[in-house]
Amino acid sequence: MVVGELAHERDVVIVGGGPGGYHAAIRAAQLGLSVTLVEKEALGGVCLNKGCIPSKVFAHAAQSMTSVQHMNDMGIEWAHVAFHPGKLQQYKTKVIGQLRQGVEALCKANKIEVIKGTASFLAEDRIGVEKGDAFDVYRFRYAVIATGAALVAPAAINVDHKRVLNAYSIYGLEELPNHLIVYGSDYIALEVATSFRAFGADVSIVLESDDFVFDSSINRELQRLLKKMKVKVYKNSRITHVESEQEQVTVSLAVKEQETVSLEGSHLFVSCGLKANVDGLEIDRLGLKRTKEGFIDVNERAQTSLPHIFAVGDVTGGPALAVKAIKQGKVAAETMAGKQSEADTTFLPTIVHSIPPIASVGLTEEEAKEQYKDVRIGQFPLTGNGYASIIGQKDGFIKVISDADSEMVLGIHMMGAGAVELISSGVIGLEMVGREEDWKFPLYPHPSINEGLLEAVEALRAEAIHLPPTKQKGAVSS
Amino acid sequence: MLEVKLHDIGEGMTEAVVIHYFVKKGDYVKADQPLVEVQTDKMVAEIPSPAEGTVLDIFVPEGQTIAVGTTLLSLQTEAVGHEQAKEQAAVTVEAEVETESEPVVSEPIGTNESKTKPQRILASPYTRKIAREHGVDLSLVKGTGPAGRITDEDVYRYVQGQQAPQTTQQEQAAQPVAPTVEHEPATVTVTKEETKEETIIPFRGRRKQIAKKMTQSLFTIPHCTHFEEIDVTELIALREELKGHGMNISATAFFIKALSLALKQFPIFNAKLDEENECIRLEKEHHFGIAVDTEDGLIVPVIKNIEKKSLRQIHEEAKALTKKALENQLSLAEMTGGTFTISNVGPLGGSIGATPIINYPEVALVAFHKTKKRPVVMENDEIAVRSMMNLSMSFDHRVADGATAVAFTNYFAKLIENPKLMLMELI
Ligand SMILES: Cc1cc2nc3c(=O)[nH]c(=O)nc-3n(C[C@H](O)[C@H](O)[C@H](O)COP(=O)(O)OP(=O)(O)OC[C@H]3O[C@@H](n4cnc5c(N)ncnc54)[C@H](O)[C@@H]3O)c2cc1C
Repeated sequence: MVVGELAHERDVVIVGGGPGGYHAAIRAAQLGLSVTLVEKEALGGVCLNKGCIPSKVFAHAAQSMTSVQHMNDMGIEWAHVAFHPGKLQQYKTKVIGQLRQGVEALCKANKIEVIKGTASFLAEDRIGVEKGDAFDVYRFRYAVIATGAALVAPAAINVDHKRVLNAYSIYGLEELPNHLIVYGSDYIALEVATSFRAFGADVSIVLESDDFVFDSSINRELQRLLKKMKVKVYKNSRITHVESEQEQVTVSLAVKEQETVSLEGSHLFVSCGLKANVDGLEIDRLGLKRTKEGFIDVNERAQTSLPHIFAVGDVTGGPALAVKAIKQGKVAAETMAGKQSEADTTFLPTIVHSIPPIASVGLTEEEAKEQYKDVRIGQFPLTGNGYASIIGQKDGFIKVISDADSEMVLGIHMMGAGAVELISSGVIGLEMVGREEDWKFPLYPHPSINEGLLEAVEALRAEAIHLPPTKQKGAVSS
Repeated sequence: MLEVKLHDIGEGMTEAVVIHYFVKKGDYVKADQPLVEVQTDKMVAEIPSPAEGTVLDIFVPEGQTIAVGTTLLSLQTEAVGHEQAKEQAAVTVEAEVETESEPVVSEPIGTNESKTKPQRILASPYTRKIAREHGVDLSLVKGTGPAGRITDEDVYRYVQGQQAPQTTQQEQAAQPVAPTVEHEPATVTVTKEETKEETIIPFRGRRKQIAKKMTQSLFTIPHCTHFEEIDVTELIALREELKGHGMNISATAFFIKALSLALKQFPIFNAKLDEENECIRLEKEHHFGIAVDTEDGLIVPVIKNIEKKSLRQIHEEAKALTKKALENQLSLAEMTGGTFTISNVGPLGGSIGATPIINYPEVALVAFHKTKKRPVVMENDEIAVRSMMNLSMSFDHRVADGATAVAFTNYFAKLIENPKLMLMELI
């Protein structure tokens, strides 16, 4: 290894080119700073290469599969419908390639120096980059740590990426599992379960807890729909042992920590915990403060305990979502440029590209009742929405929760067609401290799923038009 | 035990003055809660608590200057053993490299969201931005808007120190329980401070705001100041003549009008530099801020649209606004939107020159000093007794150059020295 004598001087050095890192880089460049971005693998990080994008390619393909029957109903017929997992892989690779080129082009257009290499801190103002045999030293005014987090499987499970898969390897499958066992209750597990079910695999879900992690109404509807899809759900069950063989996996479940049940499948998918990617970064020599779980501790400006060093995205803990990484990345850059900026995840939308999709923001009914004296609930099923009938996707509902005292809306939860796009109307309204009338006054495009949101807000006072009075009374909770 | 030290807060700072502790011995503090305010020659900074715990001891009294690395106070943290050592390492930059600890794995993805949801802030993102830009902690601002929403005005009012803080940080710290909606009256703090022996002037509210604005201006704008001497003898004569007609128009009103006329010739001084978009925006309207010295410090009410107003209107408005400023009754609209600022320190006596700080983000400011009778050599080489006044003009050297500024004050001087010329500008 050759140690460079001279340090290159930069305003900003960013470690990691995932969503957090590249958003920080581009915003910093926009604000006139000279930026170097160090990435050891591929620009786009987990999100583009192994996470959000691959999973959504699968979810989209699966959604398309389910619409085949509906197309038939409308007179669009095929002689033969088949699914080729290998071809979907090619499509996935193409989409990822295009998007990555887009990010690379944007970095170039913003005059960001992108270095392929592995970075580690040498001092509070110095970073070393190892690329092959060369070792370069950069001196920075500001640094951003955007190295993400690694998946850590439960101790009892050995992920071999063949029969036992994690969130990265599941979307690399070139074959369709016969029977996929999904272990986990988070959004990734649900996307995996519903996507592979739509492609035709048998799917069972194993939950450690007694339910999914959403608002109770969504959990209930989800169970009904999973049952309809013939997906079996094992609750209160913990995997204690996995036997991976040539053609199958055998899983031992401890149900309620008492009886043991054995489950056979062709593949097992495991939801994982996360561990900050800080090994080899040498941040401990800077004394950067960490959370109990080992993530880098940051404030609302994404500053670490050394204010000129920022950390963004999964490496900072909290919700492990690209949404958060993106926001923190921009906030970090703006803070360096002297702007007053802030990342606040109070109204972070949670979305699941499941079939049907789920989206929610703000308090759940249970949380709202804990924090407010008198809570109103308005719920509107998509069966009452005209557009849902047109597109043949009538499963799901929209639920709105408000504080009866102030009429302030506290949370919005949706399941069904259009949920992921529509949730933004909820996010903006909540950020604006909107009250019931703030949603009822505007005009909603007709016919569209949007109207479902309006009717859910109207249902808070039993005023939804497309819902019989009895149903609305039932929805008002004390 | 955890020691909280004055760490390097950047900009090559080596020492700082301890301004104010937000906590006292025995207080319970949360992680990141501000513990103490320190001031360097460049800025005021708050040192947050590195961890949750109880304040064991405070070592440095307020007002003392200390070097980087000095221990300010100690905390008893809940953590024990290894955890503690880890936190200590985090506070002291020089601390030894910590031995690798066991990797700790969080809950599965999606469920590892923090369980302690922050109390909802009832303010729109736009209002929150205003608060950030003024360094206001919104949890301390009382919302007067619909359903308790915090409005832009609430924030500005808080900045002006017109709203008594609902809870001081000391009191908050003393209550480890979840924050409730009821708050203690503000009087508690006041009495606390009066019992102290030395005289303490709180560096908050308007004083702090002035400090902030001045610092921002001086650090952003490369200031350039030049001085000019103006013969106001004719202006005094004109004012006397007008008094004969029952009209008492202040000299300030004439200055403002003449400056506005000069700005029409030199609009570069009535502009804003928009660095982000790489342009200078010339403002069409002339909104003049008038610096007024009040008991609580400097305040700058704004007279709008000078370019459309008569001398008499300007005079009346300046008088009314100054009165309101002194009585602390200015509305927000009356204090914002300036495009140019004047400061008439003449009536205070004394000063013959100054290097005024520009009212950021404006481009220029003119200060008028004391008028004094002086012997002056006239054009025909005779010496005459004339009433002379000095002015100081500071301008943003990024936007304009010295020659333009001199041309501007020359134009202004010509109008004041021959006030009748202003007639030519009547519309
Ligand atoms: C299957 C799946 C689906 C997901 N779906 C969604 C979704 O729908 N919506 C959503 O918001 N989020 C989703 N996520 C989460 C999302 O992918 C992450 O939150 C996001 O990628 C975090 O971004 P980041 O910038 O913090 O880190 P990453 O994307 O992890 O990027 C970190 C980068 O840093 C590089 N790096 C690390 N150490 C070094 C070093 N020392 N030197 C140089 N480079 C280094 C790595 O190579 C990597 O490219 C999903 C994740 C998975 C796994």
